[in-house]
Amino acid sequence: MSEPVLQCENINRFFGGIHALKGISAEIQQGEIFGLVGPNGSGKTTLVNCITGFYAPQRGQILFEGKQINGMRPHRIAANGIARTFQNVALFKGMSVLENILMGRHIFMNPNPLAALFYPFWAAKEEVAHRRKVEQIIDLLQLESVRDEHVEVIPLGLQKRVELARALCAEPRMLVLDEPMAGMNQEEKEYMVRFILDAQEELNLSVLIIEHHLDVVTSICDRVLVLNDGNKIAEGPARTAMSDPEVVAAYIGGQAHAA
Amino acid sequence: MFYRLSGVRHTSYPAARQLWPIAADRWQVGVLALLALLAPLLISDLYLGSYALPWLIWTAAALSLSLLMGLGGQLHFGFAAVMAIGAYSSIHLARGGVPFEFALLGGGLTAAVIGTAFGAAALRVKGLYLVMATLAMQYLVDWVISNVPAISGGAQATLRTPEVSFLWIPIDSLDARYYVALLWTVLMTLFFLNVKRTSFGRALAAIRDKDFAAAVIGVDPFRTKLTAFMTASFAGGVSGAILAFCYYGAVTPEQFGFNVSIQLVAMVLVGGLGSVVGGYLGAGFVLLVPIVLTNLIAGLGAAGWFSISQNLTAHLPLIFYGGMIIGFLLFEPLGLAKIYDNIRKYFLVWPFRHSGS
Repeated sequence: MSEPVLQCENINRFFGGIHALKGISAEIQQGEIFGLVGPNGSGKTTLVNCITGFYAPQRGQILFEGKQINGMRPHRIAANGIARTFQNVALFKGMSVLENILMGRHIFMNPNPLAALFYPFWAAKEEVAHRRKVEQIIDLLQLESVRDEHVEVIPLGLQKRVELARALCAEPRMLVLDEPMAGMNQEEKEYMVRFILDAQEELNLSVLIIEHHLDVVTSICDRVLVLNDGNKIAEGPARTAMSDPEVVAAYIGGQAHAA
Repeated sequence: MFYRLSGVRHTSYPAARQLWPIAADRWQVGVLALLALLAPLLISDLYLGSYALPWLIWTAAALSLSLLMGLGGQLHFGFAAVMAIGAYSSIHLARGGVPFEFALLGGGLTAAVIGTAFGAAALRVKGLYLVMATLAMQYLVDWVISNVPAISGGAQATLRTPEVSFLWIPIDSLDARYYVALLWTVLMTLFFLNVKRTSFGRALAAIRDKDFAAAVIGVDPFRTKLTAFMTASFAGGVSGAILAFCYYGAVTPEQFGFNVSIQLVAMVLVGGLGSVVGGYLGAGFVLLVPIVLTNLIAGLGAAGWFSISQNLTAHLPLIFYGGMIIGFLLFEPLGLAKIYDNIRKYFLVWPFRHSGS
């Protein structure tokens, strides 16, 4: 494989007296689907929040395409090509599905009040051009039927898909998915997996995915990193890492040597 | 019915994005525009000067505030101060010989600069703290205006607006003043509608709805909020200037006091946050109802039913605004605009109860 697209080196994060990430290092290769798993409270979302700029790690550094991104504010990181979704759907409630997805184009647009004042000469062309791009993503994720609905009224499975669409519209080179399948039934899960694979293939993305459904993890992830209590306990190809005795112990409880 | 979605088909993105896709809405807007244009012929000077004119100007002011409060979700309780800055600076500019058009722009720009400076400081806090910070702006500006004679002409002074002309037409008659106000309100309305359908408006709404999700998709929260403060302050400043030139004809510091700020907040809340229709309805409601109320009580008092002191009568509108704000927040947080919208939606699908999906 080529250069890693994302490198995390010795990431440490404290919350008061809690040492939430204890020197995590990881490398994600271009074009791979990298799983991040671990029991609740093990630091998965903390790591993702460090990568997307919600808070900077106190020690360690994060490189995206060779560029240091730790310490950057979230919107700068977004402009650099990382998009993410949230565990609890974070859509904009006052808007329609279409407007939510259009928000994904924000980094390519010119949010200028003067553009609105001279709408026919200034903003109209831009809006239409971006609408075209948004329609491609809507087509890819099969959201045509709910395009004009308000986001609150559509089912959770679709909301998560809208959130994925919004992230994809930013044309990221790396996609970070925080539990994209939480709270979904089997059918919705299968759809979601299919859409993630489609998007990854079609748009040539690297994907970092936090997921609890182990069937999903083992079937789509190239490699996984297992966290427990802020420590890295295993890393490697999905099946091998998931059958590591320490991982089994962390998930099921009991002694490491018992398995 | 004439009012329906069926038969409205879009074949291009520009068509799908037009402001009023439904024919009935376009008719409605057309008729209202025509009525507004012909108003000087249709209604007497008394009604034009003391109802239609202030209604239009306060609508523009309410829309300016609604841009910030409704679209951006940033509470501002010192908006009358912003209008005061616009009014005073435009009057001083006009007195200094600057043409009226540029005096208006200058008033707006001064308000934008000062409003943004306060905004930059106030935006470090959110919610109720932002209310307190903007309230501080109200009192600071009030104090500066009444205590710096160069601005107000002395503590109790009244500053008369000079004779001006707009685009070579002298603004000396009621009709001329009405048309200037109408032009500004229409401009503000179109601007507001366009903001709502472009990236700036969406970014603002995104920050209002979920600031962290907006940041992660590339919206710079501070910069966007500050731009909103600047835009709203500019529009508020020009509205204040228009209010001074076209309606009051003179300014005193009390015209832009704290109670006016509350009145503006009431307009936005009662009308409906972030809605254009709400701006018109809210301003109309808040201006008109106290007049009706005062007349009613005066009438009842004169008829000998009960008597209340002059003092209480003066404060009744304030009591009323407070009651209205609480009432709307409890029962219809989206205000009169939502009520209008419900009625409109009812007719959109009539004779059915609701649309299928």
